[in-house]
Amino acid sequence: MSRKKGIKGKTATSSTSSISSGSGRSGSPATSGRSAGKGSGKAARSAVSITGQSNGVVHPSRPSLSCGSDFYDIAFKVMLVGDSGVGKTCLLVRFKDGAFLAGSFISTVGIDFRNKVLDVDEVMVKLQIWDTAGQERFRSVTHAYYRDAHALLLLYDVTNKASFDNTRAWLAEIHEYAQQDVVLMLLGNKADTTHERVVKKEDGERLAKEFGVPFMETSARSGLNVELAFTALAKELRHRSTKDPNDKFKLHDYVNQEVKGASCCRS
Amino acid sequence: MDRRRDAPAPDGTGSSLSRSPRQRGSSSGHGGAKDRVERGERPCSPPLKGKADALSVSSFPFSGSDYPVTVDPYGFERPEDFDFETYEQLMSEYLAVLTRRAIKWSKLLKGKNKVDKNNKMKRYVRKGVPNEHRTLVWMSASGAQQQLDRNPGYYQSVLGAQHDPKLVDTIRTDLNRTFPENVLFRKSSSTCLQKELYNVLVAFGHHSPSVGYCQGMNFIAGLLLIITRDEEKSFWLMETLLGRILPDYYSPSMLGLKTDQEVLGELVRERVPGVSGVMAEHGVMWSLVVSRWFICLYIDVLPVETVLRIWDCLFYEGSKILFRVALTIIHQHQAAMEEEARSLPDVCQSFKRMTLGPFVEDCHPFMQKIFTEPGSLSMATIAKLRATCRARILAEGS
Repeated sequence: MSRKKGIKGKTATSSTSSISSGSGRSGSPATSGRSAGKGSGKAARSAVSITGQSNGVVHPSRPSLSCGSDFYDIAFKVMLVGDSGVGKTCLLVRFKDGAFLAGSFISTVGIDFRNKVLDVDEVMVKLQIWDTAGQERFRSVTHAYYRDAHALLLLYDVTNKASFDNTRAWLAEIHEYAQQDVVLMLLGNKADTTHERVVKKEDGERLAKEFGVPFMETSARSGLNVELAFTALAKELRHRSTKDPNDKFKLHDYVNQEVKGASCCRS
Repeated sequence: MDRRRDAPAPDGTGSSLSRSPRQRGSSSGHGGAKDRVERGERPCSPPLKGKADALSVSSFPFSGSDYPVTVDPYGFERPEDFDFETYEQLMSEYLAVLTRRAIKWSKLLKGKNKVDKNNKMKRYVRKGVPNEHRTLVWMSASGAQQQLDRNPGYYQSVLGAQHDPKLVDTIRTDLNRTFPENVLFRKSSSTCLQKELYNVLVAFGHHSPSVGYCQGMNFIAGLLLIITRDEEKSFWLMETLLGRILPDYYSPSMLGLKTDQEVLGELVRERVPGVSGVMAEHGVMWSLVVSRWFICLYIDVLPVETVLRIWDCLFYEGSKILFRVALTIIHQHQAAMEEEARSLPDVCQSFKRMTLGPFVEDCHPFMQKIFTEPGSLSMATIAKLRATCRARILAEGS
């Protein structure tokens, strides 16, 4: 398995086959960012590749401008992690398709991903979002993928105390396997529930403060803050990639300013 | 002959019939299909009768008409875009096969309650076990029946023992997430199998505490229940599968799973080098593309009828069948993959696409191909590769 790891870094982006005739394949194979050693040995067949660390973004030759979601300027890898049943797949489907169908989800086995392109200040940012099985034993399968992630969304379920307590274990896992400068955000999902809630919003806030990461409560069911969570990540990743010292973006501030409470939620 | 002509098709040759909307990637539209089912439109034939009936010889040509046509004979909702025309075409051919096989099987078994293991039986199993004999053949050929006979009352006793609350919690998390698109797993259904599913999983978790519960086992127990409609038999079939037929896929280290993924990698390198090259070029780990194939034993990966045909052979011949299936599918798509895959996501997409379409839906020719296409594949070969790969993984891990 590890034989292959050496060339993994270069492969993280580009589009799915159906859209790869867009920016994915055209243009020069040049990539931006420092080559941090990973993936530098072999010329990438794909135009888009990530060479560096988590800010190793890519600028394919900008064939974009098209409004279609096929085109993008930069691409990032985001991973959803957290205990089994906290709503990772639901959150992803809500973000990707704007849908929530109660009782139509099955347990995620293994690992899977979906793409979505966002317009962030007129830059088309493609998020390749990896959905993982939450059960503990699957971590030994999934943590191999942490290394290439630019951002991680760590979820817990506000109706499940154990999933909240386990975020510490998840964090340890993240520190061990993810890139040091990975963008991390804590999400308390299922915030639409009132009766079953056992984790207060303040508890989440306190924990996030301790971890030093942005926090918000979300609801895949109502749509609360779902868009925001991903948009905030995309903004942060995009700003990191420009390396313009004047171009400052503060993820924490942005989240604090934009975040909505469960009470005023509208889907 | 005519006895079967009225038989509603055992499904599976139809397209993506057992996949959840999530898996098909079209999460909208599910409600529509559901509504139609609830309204009971297009009433028709298929469906399953009440519990226990599945065991009786006459039950396979499901004689009830409890389900609308939007539900397949195993209770799975058909997707909204289900192509009935293609399905009818496939079924008209497959029904003839089923009829032929059913007659032969009836003669072979002649009311016997066990199967002998010999070349004739192996040939018969490879050509498909009629659904009315499936429980019997699976139980008998795998040795599960022998276990059940040797341990009368064991299932009830392990089920009645004190339960580990953590295990119970983990299992409960997945109950509603097991076949939500199957009418037999809806709480509203009079034949709801959720309680049985819970029992089988809890019993197994306590029977085998080193495994406990691993996601994926919910689908396996679920499908066993759909076929056998019998908790105790499902338990022993599960015990046989996980305890003897498969390596340790589901234990906390998942070492058996990791090993078999690498074994497949080796086999592909040897026999489908083109695909191996593409995988290496884009740095795709096998765990990314095939872990579900192994963990779910192709449930929700391939159409349900195809899965059942694979399981016929799995119970009779053992775990090498899983490699035969994988190699056949991968081989079939070698050219397309070399042509199209330009990146890691492309490769993942290719692997998803290869589990769809007529090649895997038309289960009878598909099952013939798995025994010819990949060439000879002995258990000794597999055992040797497993030993090598396992040692390599352990060395890397330490």
